[in-house]
Amino acid sequence: MSDKNNLDYDVMVVGAGTAGMEASLSLGDMGYKVLLVEKQPSIGGRTILLSKVFPTLDCASCISTPKMASSAHHPNITLMTYSEVDGITKNADGSFHVNLHKKPTYVDQVTCTGCGQCATACTVPLPDEYNYNMIARRAAHIPFPQAVPKKAVISRGGQAPCMHTCPAGVKPSGFVSLVRAGKYEEGFKLHLADAPLVGSLSRACYAPCEGECTRDEMEGSVNIRAIKRFMVDWYYERHPEPDYGPVENQLDTKVAVIGSGPGGLTAAFHLAKQGHQVTVFEAEAHAGGMLRHGMPAYRMPNELLDRDIKNITALGVEIRTNTRVESIASLKEQGFDAVFTGVGNQNPRIIPITGNNLADVTDCMKFLKETNVGDELPDIEGKDFVVLGGGNVAFDVARAAVRMGTKSVSIVCLEAKDKMPAHGFEVREAEEEGVRLYTGVSSKRIFKGDSGKSILEVLNVASIEFDDKGRTTGFTTAEGTEQQIPADVVVMAVGLSPSTLPFENELELNGNKTIKTDDQTLQTSDPMVFAGGDAVLGPSIICEAMGQGRKAAFYIDRFLKKEPLDVPFDSDLEVADKKAIVACSGKCSCIKPTAIREHEPKKRIQSFEPYEETMTEDEARASANRCLGCGECSQCQECVNACPANCINFNMKTDRMEMTVGSVIVSTGYEILDPAGKELMGYGKYPNVISGPQMDRLLAPTRPYNGVLRPSDGKEPESIAIVLCNGSRDHTVCNPLCCRIGCMYSAKHAQLVMGALPLADVTIYYIDIRAFGKGYDEFYEQSKGMGVQYTKGKVARIEEIEGGNLRVHYEDMEGEGGIQTAEHDMVVLTVGFLPNLESLKLYKGGEVETDPFAYIREPDATAQPGRTNIAGLFAAGTVIGARDIPDTVLHACASSAQAAGYIEKLRKA
Amino acid sequence: MSAIRRDMREVMRDEMIMRDRIIAVIQEEPKTVPEIAEAIGAPNHETVCWVMAMRRYGMIEEVGRPDVDGYFKYEYKEPEEETHA
Repeated sequence: MSDKNNLDYDVMVVGAGTAGMEASLSLGDMGYKVLLVEKQPSIGGRTILLSKVFPTLDCASCISTPKMASSAHHPNITLMTYSEVDGITKNADGSFHVNLHKKPTYVDQVTCTGCGQCATACTVPLPDEYNYNMIARRAAHIPFPQAVPKKAVISRGGQAPCMHTCPAGVKPSGFVSLVRAGKYEEGFKLHLADAPLVGSLSRACYAPCEGECTRDEMEGSVNIRAIKRFMVDWYYERHPEPDYGPVENQLDTKVAVIGSGPGGLTAAFHLAKQGHQVTVFEAEAHAGGMLRHGMPAYRMPNELLDRDIKNITALGVEIRTNTRVESIASLKEQGFDAVFTGVGNQNPRIIPITGNNLADVTDCMKFLKETNVGDELPDIEGKDFVVLGGGNVAFDVARAAVRMGTKSVSIVCLEAKDKMPAHGFEVREAEEEGVRLYTGVSSKRIFKGDSGKSILEVLNVASIEFDDKGRTTGFTTAEGTEQQIPADVVVMAVGLSPSTLPFENELELNGNKTIKTDDQTLQTSDPMVFAGGDAVLGPSIICEAMGQGRKAAFYIDRFLKKEPLDVPFDSDLEVADKKAIVACSGKCSCIKPTAIREHEPKKRIQSFEPYEETMTEDEARASANRCLGCGECSQCQECVNACPANCINFNMKTDRMEMTVGSVIVSTGYEILDPAGKELMGYGKYPNVISGPQMDRLLAPTRPYNGVLRPSDGKEPESIAIVLCNGSRDHTVCNPLCCRIGCMYSAKHAQLVMGALPLADVTIYYIDIRAFGKGYDEFYEQSKGMGVQYTKGKVARIEEIEGGNLRVHYEDMEGEGGIQTAEHDMVVLTVGFLPNLESLKLYKGGEVETDPFAYIREPDATAQPGRTNIAGLFAAGTVIGARDIPDTVLHACASSAQAAGYIEKLRKA
Repeated sequence: MSAIRRDMREVMRDEMIMRDRIIAVIQEEPKTVPEIAEAIGAPNHETVCWVMAMRRYGMIEEVGRPDVDGYFKYEYKEPEEETHA
């Protein structure tokens, strides 16, 4: 229910350009409370972007900025910038109900001083719409120097898919952007802030980010992991030790972390950063969990893991190795206030096979542990080696065995080759290294052959069933399909189960022995115990375990500080639209991903040395530059580091609100025709063909270049052509209307160019000159008097010639007549205006009537200017048709008077 | 004749890897856009884009008036010391 006597505002003005500001000021001066809503971060509309105004040649900034400042500071005007109206409906009492939202700027608009240091530090260049794309701005930016409010805004087009998909919460788009900019140390530290095992991820992560990379929809994804590897190697070479210590603000709270795998170490890192006293308990002799014991050194070098672990211990985290935790109760007795259990998934599954005493049968974890940290490598030289299983662990076992002088290495698995759980590259590389695959078969028995050697007999699988996660749930075999495989050693890699046995009486477990936790907080049935990683997820990848450790740390910290846990952990920013990004990247060059150099298979099986080479610096930067910048802001956090007032806040959200207002004035302006649609004129094809608004920017004091320069080569032009009526009075683009200002702003351009470049020749190609306003004809004559060449002729085509110059083909309507050509350094296309169709969508209570050209219709423009067909809803300025600035101001005043009249009637009704 | 115009966003992104090369080229002596473009092996119009963005963010600046052919020279500008705490 609305109450006309209890309005939030008397009038809402939509659009804070020249008309909107004028209408607001008029109403504000009359004493009405006005809400002025502007979708851009600054008010001022298009006028503030002009150089000067005709015919007085007053500075556009000088006439606009006082209005902008007055609008922002008027006691009766409430300004909402970076805000959009979602819908307007009319109430029964004649007032209006408004839904609108304020977009997040990600910069505190109160504390921002407008210093611009965030923009200087930002690593993301984007086309600057305020300079009509003639120059790059940054994702963090202040729209233009005279912006009101002069506050920074960060452009975000959603969350980059790479970042959105990373389970560890790493910001790939951020460190990729930093590597592109040559900021390797900053890139490393950005990663470190989210996930401390940077080196381990650079080697062993299966990089789900690359699978979601938008560039993968084109020529192939950005090599995110390889870029990270370069960044890590660069950083660790220069920083063998961490350059930080424990945080200053140390707390008394004690947290125990069970297990030093990726989940446990990550939890410990984030808890220690919050000042908690963290102790990690590790049953084995070395920290690292699966990274240490489950991954062969060719993938995960121990030295790199050691350096990664220093990132955690540098914060004061104590790691007690050879210390198995037998119960949660024992930790409570030791005075720990909270526990994170990341015990992992290291219990191997053993399947019974007839005759398994006839070969050396072992499990994958035992084999890999001996291989990775044992005093001696397993004695398998010269033996026939068989691995049962088709997952990544099976391939780790097989590929490790290949490096130990085995006679043969075979993988035996139930699944067909294309259904194996292992990653495709693991399968490919294993085959390259000589591993033989027996896929779609089941083990039947082990027996001694005639020569006395052990043989594994297998049968073909007839049918196999999978669950919705792709895991095998059952199979049948085909009798009579037996095959024999030599098998001195058989290693079972057919699954791992959680190491949760010690806690089964203290914590609630699931049927598969994983720990039951709250989905959001990872809190277990014991409130002081949180769990994550494989112990909760079952078999997972490193970055998933790290993500769980980070998430649990967030909620443990809140638990210990007695803060509520019902707060979200993840950002709710939507993922960027990949299809839209691909669609607007159609003109991007085709750049294939940099091939990662690997040692030849014959060479790499000679040792456990890493076989993948690190990219060179040039390769890393070039690879990083393939990033399409899906989210606009890359989240590199350079603005956060640079801001002297600490006002960057990426947690800002859209603020939605509803209001009741007495009346509405729509002053949303016009659109500028894109001259690229007129292909023969060469705009968008030849750099030196620019539009009228672009020329205005070149002539403005806040110009993008250091003068009026050619975009093709930065040269001062000596001969400039201005071509009138491009897309106005033009049926080829369905716009028969005269733009009403083209003739005059071209004369303005000509005069300003002659002031800026006294030696330049300026030619204006026109159909006819419409100098109808006060002082306009004098202004036109003044141009001619200054030496501007006016050529009556319709330009048909523009072509580029040597040196970036342009040849203009035109029909000469005076002089010699016929088709003529002329050469110029630069051409300015005076473009037409179009109605702003978005303005028609604002009112949801009915249809706002338009004229035949889609501008808002005034039913009685002569007697009641500004009125629309909806009583109480008014239009001001160019939203009803193209007009110059004085006419816009006049019309806005008329609309504000109409709105005032409506409010008075509303009050008296 | 100008080279084929690449996607505007792609060209602008290149600034982040081209600016080190541009600085290296102008560090010894100021150069015009065509001279810089030739030295880094890039099209003139793309070099304009990078040079002007670098100028905007205070990394380079023009020197005096344009030469007889109408080209400004640009030189490296040392970063200003930060004044905030």
